[in-house]
Amino acid sequence: MLRRLLSSAVSIFLLVTLVFFMAHLTPGGPAFSILGQKATPESVAALNARLGLGAPLLKQYGIWWWHLLHGQLGYSYLLNRPVGALLWDYEVNTLVFYAIAICLSTMLAVLLGAAQGVWHGRWPAGVIGVFQLVFYATPPFFTAAILVLCFAVGLHWLPASGIGNPRLAHPGIGTFAAHLVLPVITVMLLTVPMLSRYFGEAVHEELGKDYVRTAQAKGVGFAGILFRHVMRNALRPLVTMLGLSFPYIFTGGVIVESVFNYPGLGWLLWRSALGRDYPVLIAIVLLIGLLTVLGNLLADLVNGWLDPRGQYE
Amino acid sequence: MKPVLEIRDLTVTLKRGGRDVPVLEHFNLSIVPGEMVALVGESGSGKTVAALSVLRLLPLGAKISGEIFLDGENIAQAGEARLRQLRGSVAGMVFQDPLAALNPSRTVASQIGEAWRVHKGGSVLAAREKAVELLGEVGIPDAAARADDFPHQFSGGMRQRVMIAMALACSPKLLIADEPTTGLDPVIARQILQLLARLRRELNLAVLFVTHDLSVVAEHADAVHVLYAGRSVEWGGAKTFFAQPRHPYSAALRGAVAWLGQARLAEIPGQLPEPEARPPGCRFAPRCDYAQADCAVEYPAPVERGTTAACLYPLRNAERAGSAGVEKVVQKFAPLLEVDGLALRFGKGLPVLENLSLVIGQGECLGIVGESGSGKSSLGKAVLQMLPYAGHVLLGGQDLGGLRGAKLRAARRRMQVVFQDPRESLNPRMKIGEIIAEPLHLAGVAKPEAMRRVKALLADVGLSAALMPVYPGSVSGGQAQRVAIARALAAEPELLVLDEPTSSLDVSTQALLLNLLRGIGAKRGLSCLLISHDFAVVSYLADRIAVLRGGRVIEVNETAALLANPREAYTKALIEAAPRLQS
Repeated sequence: MLRRLLSSAVSIFLLVTLVFFMAHLTPGGPAFSILGQKATPESVAALNARLGLGAPLLKQYGIWWWHLLHGQLGYSYLLNRPVGALLWDYEVNTLVFYAIAICLSTMLAVLLGAAQGVWHGRWPAGVIGVFQLVFYATPPFFTAAILVLCFAVGLHWLPASGIGNPRLAHPGIGTFAAHLVLPVITVMLLTVPMLSRYFGEAVHEELGKDYVRTAQAKGVGFAGILFRHVMRNALRPLVTMLGLSFPYIFTGGVIVESVFNYPGLGWLLWRSALGRDYPVLIAIVLLIGLLTVLGNLLADLVNGWLDPRGQYE
Repeated sequence: MKPVLEIRDLTVTLKRGGRDVPVLEHFNLSIVPGEMVALVGESGSGKTVAALSVLRLLPLGAKISGEIFLDGENIAQAGEARLRQLRGSVAGMVFQDPLAALNPSRTVASQIGEAWRVHKGGSVLAAREKAVELLGEVGIPDAAARADDFPHQFSGGMRQRVMIAMALACSPKLLIADEPTTGLDPVIARQILQLLARLRRELNLAVLFVTHDLSVVAEHADAVHVLYAGRSVEWGGAKTFFAQPRHPYSAALRGAVAWLGQARLAEIPGQLPEPEARPPGCRFAPRCDYAQADCAVEYPAPVERGTTAACLYPLRNAERAGSAGVEKVVQKFAPLLEVDGLALRFGKGLPVLENLSLVIGQGECLGIVGESGSGKSSLGKAVLQMLPYAGHVLLGGQDLGGLRGAKLRAARRRMQVVFQDPRESLNPRMKIGEIIAEPLHLAGVAKPEAMRRVKALLADVGLSAALMPVYPGSVSGGQAQRVAIARALAAEPELLVLDEPTSSLDVSTQALLLNLLRGIGAKRGLSCLLISHDFAVVSYLADRIAVLRGGRVIEVNETAALLANPREAYTKALIEAAPRLQS
C-alpha cells in the first residue's frame, strides 16, 4: 500500500511538471489574454514583470512548489481570485455532478450488464450490445449537441446551459437539478456502454464457474444464484474499471461541462488552458491527479471488501 | 431393499458443433441405501455426464431419454421447480476441485447454511449453528471458530470436507461424488475416502463415486461400473471385479493402474474414440487384443459370469489384458548430480528447503516423494537453476551456482525438464515439429539433420511423424506430454527432471508414459530426477526414493528396500496411501 502511494506521488509530480512546462511551451501567455487586442510589447512586458512571469521558467516552477508547500496555490490571473477559493467553488459543482453521474451510470450498467450476462448469446444481449457499441463510439460533444437540439431547442423541456455558479447565485434545487439532467445523461452515455459491457462479460464468466453448479446442486434457484453468488464476484472487475476510468470520465466531463456551460472543474480547466492561466491550470491538474489516485485506492478498498482472498493489498 | 437411485436405459446427447452427439447411451444403474457404487471411466467415457444427469445438472442443450428414478420418482422429465426441491435434499453432490466449486467470497458457514435454508428455511443464525455442527461431523477441527473462514483459508482436504458437509446439510439419501479426491495428496485423499466410508455407515447413505482411477475405489466400493466411450462395458460386485475383471477393457484398466510395488505396467494401445467417430459394435474392439471379426458388428449383449460384461469373448480366469511393460533392472551408478547443503526460501518466509543433500548417479532415476508444500517442486527448480538458492548443485563435478550467461545456458542444456501440465508448458502457437526442433536449432544443428532427428525422437516417444505440422492444442494430453518428453530429449541432456509428469493424465495414458520413460531411461543411460506425490508412480520408475518433508530429506533408500522396510512413520503413511490390490 505504501509503495502504491509513493509511486502515485511520483506520477502526480511528473504529471504536474509536464503540464507546467508544456503550458509554457505553447505561444501566447496570460498577458495577451488579459490585455486583449490593445496589447503592445511594452505593456505585455510590464504585466509579465508584475505577474512574476519574467523570471526563468525553472525558477517560476520552483516558486510554485515552494508556495504549495506553504499551502498557497497562487492567484488566478484571469479571474482575480485566489486559486484555492476558486477551485473550491468549482469543485463542489463538479463533485455533485460526477457523484450523480457515476452512481446512476453504475446502477444502469449493473442492470444492463446483468441482463446481458444472463442472456449471453441470445438476442436481448445482442440488442444491448448494439446500443453499447453505438454509444461507445459516439463522442460526447456530439451526444451533447444532439441532446441539446432535441430536449432544449426542440422540445423546450430542459435548459441547455447557463446555470452560472449556484454557490454564488443561489438557484433553487429544482433549477439546479434541471440543469444537471442533460450533462448527466451525456456522461452516462459515455460510461454506461463501457461499464455494462465489462460487467456483462464478468457475469457471464462467473455464471460458468464451478461454484454456480455447486449452488445449483444445493437446490438454489436462479435468482439466488445471481444475487447471492454471482453478482458480488462479478462486481470486482467493474469496481476496478470504475477506479481506472476516472481520468477517462473526467476527460469526457471537460467537454460536457464546456458544452453545457456548467461551472465545474472541467469548464474551469478549459478556460484556464485557453487563457494560459497557469496557476489555475496546474492546480486543477494536481487535483485531478489526486482524485484519480483516490479513486483507485477506493476501488481497491471496495474490492478488498468484496474479495476476502486479499489480492488487493 | 428399494433402490435410492435407479437409472434405466438413459441416453444423453450434448450439443457439439451444432449437432446432438450422444455421450452416454443405454446406461443402467441402481444403488440401494448404504451402498457405494464406483462409476469408473477415463475422460470422455461419459461418467461425469451420468453423474450430472442424476440431478439434471447437465449443460444447456443436453437432451436425455430414459428413466431416472430418484427415491422412487422419475425425474427424467421433471420441471425445474421440482428439480430444485430434490437437489440437495434427496441427493447431494460433491465435485472435483473444491476451491473452484466453493464461492470464494462467502464464508463456508454461509455456504453450508444456504444449502440448509434453501430447503428447511429458518434463520441465518440457526443455519450457522447447523453449519458448525456439520463441519464438526466431517472432521474439521475447531469447527465453531473456523465456520466464518473463507474457502481459501482451508487446505485442499479440508475444503473437500466442507463440500461434503454442504452436500449432507439436508440429510440426503444419496451422495454423488464426482472425482472428489482427484488433485489431492494421496494421504489426504485416503482420509476423504475414509470419511465417506464412515458417513455411509453412520447415515446409511448411498454413494455414487465417480472416478477415473480404479485404485481409489478398490478398498471401499461395494460395486463397480465401468464405462467406455459412452457405454457400460462391465459392472458387478467390487470383490469379484477386482479378483477377475471379465471385459478386456476393464482388465486392461486394472492392469494399467500403477499399484504399489508392481513390476510391470500393462499398456492399452490406441486411443478413446471421439463421440462423433465411435466404431460400430463393441467400442473397445479396435484397441482390444481379444477382438474377433464379429466384435465390430453390433454392440455385444451383456454376459454374466461373476460380474456382467458387455463382451462376446469375456476373459477367463487368470487372463490378463494389455501388452507387457518393461522390466526394471537394479544396478550401481557413478554420481552425476550432487546437491550439497541446498537451502531455499521465498522472501522472508519460512524456509522451503533446508540443508538438503542428494546424489543422482549416471543412468539412475531418483524419485522424490512428498506432499504438496514439502518443497519437492522447488528442489527441481533449484537444480535447474531457475530459483536462487544457498548451497551447491554440481553437475558432473561442475558447480552450477556461479554460472552466468552463456555458461549457464550451456549447463541448462545438459538438464531438461518435463512439467506436469503439457498444455501449459508447450507453446500453443508453435507446431509440434518446431517445438521439438527448437533445442536442436539452439545447438546449431542444420535443418535437414534436425528434421531427421525430430522424426527419430517422435518415433522414440511412440508418436507418428504426421504430428509435426500439428499444434499442441489439437492433440490429447498424453500425446502432448510425449511431445514435451521428445522436446526434452532433443537437447540430449544428461539429466531429465520430471515434475509430476503423469498426474494430469488418465490411467491408461499414464501407464503408457511410465513405460516409455522407463524404456528411454534404460536405452539412453539417462539420469532422472522424478518428482511426484504418487508413491506408486515413483516406485515404478525410480531406482532410489528420497522422501521429502518440510524441506528436508527424511529418508532415502533403494526403492525395494524402502517399500519393504520404511524407517519413518511418515514414509509408512505415504506407502499406505498408495493404491494397492488386495491379495
